[in-house]
Amino acid sequence: MMDRLRLLLPLAWRNLWRNPRRTIITVLVVSVGLWSILTFSVLLKAWSVSSRDTTLKLMTGEGQIHATGYLDDPTVAHRTAQPGGELESILASPAVTAYTQRLRVAAIVQSEYKTLPMTLVGTDPARERRLSVLPDRVGDGRYLDGPADTGIVLGRNLARRLKTRIGKRVVVMAQDENGKLAERAFQVVGLYAAPQQTEDQFAFTGLKTAQALTGIGTDITEIAFVTPDDRDIADVLARMKASSPGLDIQSWKTLAPLSYAVSTFFNEFILMWLWIMFALMAIGIVNTQLMAVFERIREFGLLQALGMRPRLVLMEVTLESAMLIGVGVGMGIALSVLSVQAFPNGIDLGFLGRGAELVGAGHILYPKVDAGDFVLYSLIVWTLGVVATLWPARRASRVSPVEAMGRF
Amino acid sequence: MTAIVDCKGITKHYRQGSIDVPALRGVDLAIEQGDFASLAGPSGSGKTTLLNIVGGLDRPTDGTISIDGQDLTALDNEDLADLRLRKIGFVFQAYNLIPVLSAVENVEFTLQLMDVPAAERRERAKEMLQQVGLESMENRRPSRLSGGQQQRVAVARALASRPSIVLADEPTANLDTQTAEDLIALMSRLNERYGVTFLMATHDDRVISRTRRHIVIADGRVASDERRTLEMAG
Repeated sequence: MMDRLRLLLPLAWRNLWRNPRRTIITVLVVSVGLWSILTFSVLLKAWSVSSRDTTLKLMTGEGQIHATGYLDDPTVAHRTAQPGGELESILASPAVTAYTQRLRVAAIVQSEYKTLPMTLVGTDPARERRLSVLPDRVGDGRYLDGPADTGIVLGRNLARRLKTRIGKRVVVMAQDENGKLAERAFQVVGLYAAPQQTEDQFAFTGLKTAQALTGIGTDITEIAFVTPDDRDIADVLARMKASSPGLDIQSWKTLAPLSYAVSTFFNEFILMWLWIMFALMAIGIVNTQLMAVFERIREFGLLQALGMRPRLVLMEVTLESAMLIGVGVGMGIALSVLSVQAFPNGIDLGFLGRGAELVGAGHILYPKVDAGDFVLYSLIVWTLGVVATLWPARRASRVSPVEAMGRF
Repeated sequence: MTAIVDCKGITKHYRQGSIDVPALRGVDLAIEQGDFASLAGPSGSGKTTLLNIVGGLDRPTDGTISIDGQDLTALDNEDLADLRLRKIGFVFQAYNLIPVLSAVENVEFTLQLMDVPAAERRERAKEMLQQVGLESMENRRPSRLSGGQQQRVAVARALASRPSIVLADEPTANLDTQTAEDLIALMSRLNERYGVTFLMATHDDRVISRTRRHIVIADGRVASDERRTLEMAG
């Protein structure tokens, strides 16, 4: 086999460059096609990751635990006790990276100028920091000090709409455990930046403060958690559900279906794009190789006349294609890596305004070369390209020496 | 004398639309070890068809042909290619060198197909180029060689694998007078010195006059088969 390769490799390589223009055009077709596949896959993956992270790292986490019925009617009537027993062991185990308890209740916030609906979230700031990026997004003022903090952290846009600011007071009204309206004045201690929808919806205070406002003792309405690898979440969820059959335990895929849909759609889109580009490339490659075979039909006849077995002729033409596509694949990979490295600080989607937020993407996309994806897509293109050229190669190997050479 | 090529009752018919055109009508011919033979005949007489069949490039419609005792009609395409590689050397009218290989690589090509070790291969190829007087041009590609030089490389290639027989089709047709004379002298010398068997289809009287056996084909049959001494031929 090695002897055969030593015979065929130089022959195939030199034959490639007999028509440099055609070879260069084919290499460009393959490299630009693969570049588009790889670069689109990187961008779509960055968008998908951004969409997922935006959702998961703001509030959702990778999974949440509620009392049954809370997701349909998110009031304190559907609350649960602090986690205990087997559930607490799982939450404290290495299978869970971090978790936080929350009291999350629909409320009304009132400034001296305006009254607006929002969701009041009572939380433990130390735990929340390990799970959510919002504590680090406080641009003005401060985040909460502890579960007993009586201040309130508003989204920038909510504060603007309320015409309030740091140091001013707002009144929050929510239903207590008996369905009666409870209210309390809070001092605005911080303003956070997030997608506008989040800024408008969520205001944060200490967990104990919210529990006192709603009169539910030490109960909570939500536990959010993250795992070391969200591919293992199904296992963690199963263990949690087995330990607490009375609770409603869901993964982010159920809780944030839009983000999950965006993520899966992009994966499908990458595959669709790969097939479309490959079909276009295959037409170019097969056409080029057919032309090359027809132009050299006399030569293939000669090779067989000299004693080259038809099987070796097939190998020779296939090897030419493998090299031709291989060069294109190499260039396509290099172009893609360069394209991705051209954005070391990410791609700012500011020009899209709120458009990106609406489909859940963050403000900046961080494209990253995934070696596994690059190898996989390149191998697919290379293999399918070589398979596509088996047709012209087979024609070359089946020529009759007499017919190919016209006359002996 | 041992027969290298043995044709018995060879017929060949081509289909042209619905018409059956006979090219060979029962050829019996034996080419023997050391023959230096010319195959002549008018255009359309069937000499090229016969050469194709003898060379294993085409199959007869009927009859049997064997080379070194091996029946060609029983071989599939892969084995036929193998037989051409080991038993037959070809010299074509249009030289037909591989354009991307140098002179020495062209000569080495068939040896490489035969899995001859690299060192021996290169030595034999250089030796053959020396025999045809092209030792100083071994690294030139065909595009940088004259027609005569290319044909000499083709002869070297045909001989490098030490075949049982060399088949040449109008080897001098594209060459000027002097180059043609030189090539005939070269092939004649190789035949005399090394006993290489040659069968050449040709119209060229210079070739015919130098061969010791002259076969004439007419209407798909052997019309005459004359053996002569070189004095008679020359």
